[in-house]
Amino acid sequence: MSEVSKAGISRRSFLRGLSVLGVGSVLAACAPAGAPAASSGNAGASKESVVIQHWVFWNQPGKVKDKFEASDDLKKALGDNKWEFRTGVAWDAGLTAVAGGTPPDIGVIGNYLKYMLKGSVIPLDDYISKSQVIAKDKFIEGNWNEVTLDGKVMGIPGYECFVRRGLNYNTRLIEEAGLDASKPPVTWDELLEWHKKLTKFDTAGNLLQFGIDPYDAEGGVGPGSDGFFLTDSWGFDYFDEEKKTFNLDNELMAKGIDVMNEFVKIIGPDNLAGFRKVEGQGSWGGSYNAEKQAMIIEGYWHPGETANEKPEVSKVNKATWIPVPEERRGKKVQFGGGHMAQIFKDAKNKDAAWPLAEWMQSQSFCDIIFDNIGWLPAYKPYFDKADPKKYPGLDFYFQSIKDADYWGKFIRCPIEDFISTKFIEIRESAYRGKMTGTEAAQALQKAAEDEWKNQGLS
Amino acid sequence: MARVIVNPLRSPAERRNLLLGVIFASPWIVGFLVFTLIPLGSSLYYSFTRYDLLGDPVWIGLRNYNLLLTNDADFRVVMYNTLWWVLISSPLGVISAFLMALLLNTNILGRSIFRSVFFFPSIVPVVVTAFVWQFLLSTQYGAINGVLQGWGFPIIPFLANPAYVKPSLVLIHMWSQGSAMVIFLATLQDVPRTLYEAAEIDGANSWQRLWSVTVPMVSPVILFNLVMSLISGFQNFTLPWLMTQGGPEKATEFYAIFLYRNAFQYLLMGKASALAWFLFVIIVLFTVLVFRVSGRYTYYAGGGR
Repeated sequence: MSEVSKAGISRRSFLRGLSVLGVGSVLAACAPAGAPAASSGNAGASKESVVIQHWVFWNQPGKVKDKFEASDDLKKALGDNKWEFRTGVAWDAGLTAVAGGTPPDIGVIGNYLKYMLKGSVIPLDDYISKSQVIAKDKFIEGNWNEVTLDGKVMGIPGYECFVRRGLNYNTRLIEEAGLDASKPPVTWDELLEWHKKLTKFDTAGNLLQFGIDPYDAEGGVGPGSDGFFLTDSWGFDYFDEEKKTFNLDNELMAKGIDVMNEFVKIIGPDNLAGFRKVEGQGSWGGSYNAEKQAMIIEGYWHPGETANEKPEVSKVNKATWIPVPEERRGKKVQFGGGHMAQIFKDAKNKDAAWPLAEWMQSQSFCDIIFDNIGWLPAYKPYFDKADPKKYPGLDFYFQSIKDADYWGKFIRCPIEDFISTKFIEIRESAYRGKMTGTEAAQALQKAAEDEWKNQGLS
Repeated sequence: MARVIVNPLRSPAERRNLLLGVIFASPWIVGFLVFTLIPLGSSLYYSFTRYDLLGDPVWIGLRNYNLLLTNDADFRVVMYNTLWWVLISSPLGVISAFLMALLLNTNILGRSIFRSVFFFPSIVPVVVTAFVWQFLLSTQYGAINGVLQGWGFPIIPFLANPAYVKPSLVLIHMWSQGSAMVIFLATLQDVPRTLYEAAEIDGANSWQRLWSVTVPMVSPVILFNLVMSLISGFQNFTLPWLMTQGGPEKATEFYAIFLYRNAFQYLLMGKASALAWFLFVIIVLFTVLVFRVSGRYTYYAGGGR
């Protein structure tokens, strides 16, 4: 009996084998893709057609996908390869894919510094050395600085870069308030005077209109790819990259928080939270577009986006330098930053993906983005020829690249996200009267140092 | 008298049946192993490590737990918010579901329509619920504040003031109790009419009938809904994340939001795993406590518990 069983396959053995096979198949299917083979990234060399995964976190580029596909520049960049373009990839979704070993080949998916520091993206210096399109001197210095780490280039500025500091104001509302729109405020004190005159309440004390929420949009950014607005305006660095020490507990930080909070106190913290949450569901510039906020600190994209979303508001939009404290009067502050395309260490088609980084600087790509969304690259050969008067207020940003005499520094701090979140929490406690600017600065410093230790970075 | 011990696997037919059963159940078993047990085990391991998702985990023993309990001011705020939420919203949610079910168990005109209307919020995606309520409660343009403003009254910062925001979320929570209400409704219809008739003959008024007949008869379902509500209360994430993202002034920074922030914003997956396991322990303790306390007040027709 037993011999017979051994001679063939019993039903039990067959079923056992089948179940093991099933379990194995499921496990194999669920396992993350392994590291690419040595030949990975040589798809171009083998001339086999591959599918290039290209992800971006915005939704807007999805609307111009057809225009991209129709352009000869993209066809040239792809060659025989196919293009899989995913838009609206949330930052955490991208992170999960990268962590799981299944990243896109090339992506603009946020978390740039994290990917650089953790070695999730590859240096691009070899590609750049052979490129006719990409070179350091073809980009705004600040943007190029952002994509480098320890002397290696870890990304290429793309999609939405350019410069990010400007005070935009609605000339119609300014003139209605009896102010001279041709002489915009230069210092925080002057801005506060405008703010008071532009802020209106009804008889029941409800807010109808306000001058400026200094923490809206770029005004509120903490450390990250948009820099740290407060430190740019007051002129100091919050973190020393070499010594690994924080410089948050200082007089300028305290003063900055106190001054900016004064604007919020006039509006009322609850009113501010209400406005920020509702206008455009918390999106930047919503209350400006609704003409409830007369001024806003925004990047170069503001004129173009406003023109595309609210043409009637765009017509009365002007831009000027961001306010600075009295002791820095006349200082022309700018910051070059934004987004970058990165090629991932675990990508299957690295070489095939590189031409897309070059394509992102092409005339057709930049035209499509600029004309339909309002974004600009950091690529000088393009913006040197672009029309600075295309959208009202945009010419200021073009001119600011030449005139700026203080460029905010892009600082690489491994816990920048933590500081950014803490900054929002602590400044809110301060403008709700729970602490002074000095106490807020001390609290921020302590939180940063504690977190640094807790993460085992010291 | 000799005892006969029967081994259920002794006969080939029984063993064959067992094997077939295991094979038929294997999709679930494999799914459980791959998607539940292995991630559970992994998260337990990660909770003893420093792990940022992008690099390799580094063993640090109990440091994550120690830091949470001794050196994390945010954790204390989050625990307060979460306990507040659970202790206020869970009982109120169950009470509102029970009251709605009582109302809909009466012979009112258009009862079916009302039942559908009351159940409707629980089938609406939370995202939609969040947006609808955001526009209702909005400080500047909400329907409620619009009426107040129109009548010359000051607006109420439902979602913008730290003191109002949690009660506002509780209000929304009470509104979306359709599922619990349906369970109550089914149970109410199972309460024997004879008990009410006997109570009426004994001269019980409607309040006494409710308190002495209805509540004891549905007490197991009250317990069930309460336990489920406690568990989901500790895991409260979607609604506050969509509506307030933890603000204003961290008033709605609940446990799950804090966990998410640590995991995906700060990339502290080790700490986030420790938070998850700590939450698991808290939920188990609360559930055991509720069962212990409720044992005295819950009526089971069969006498069991």
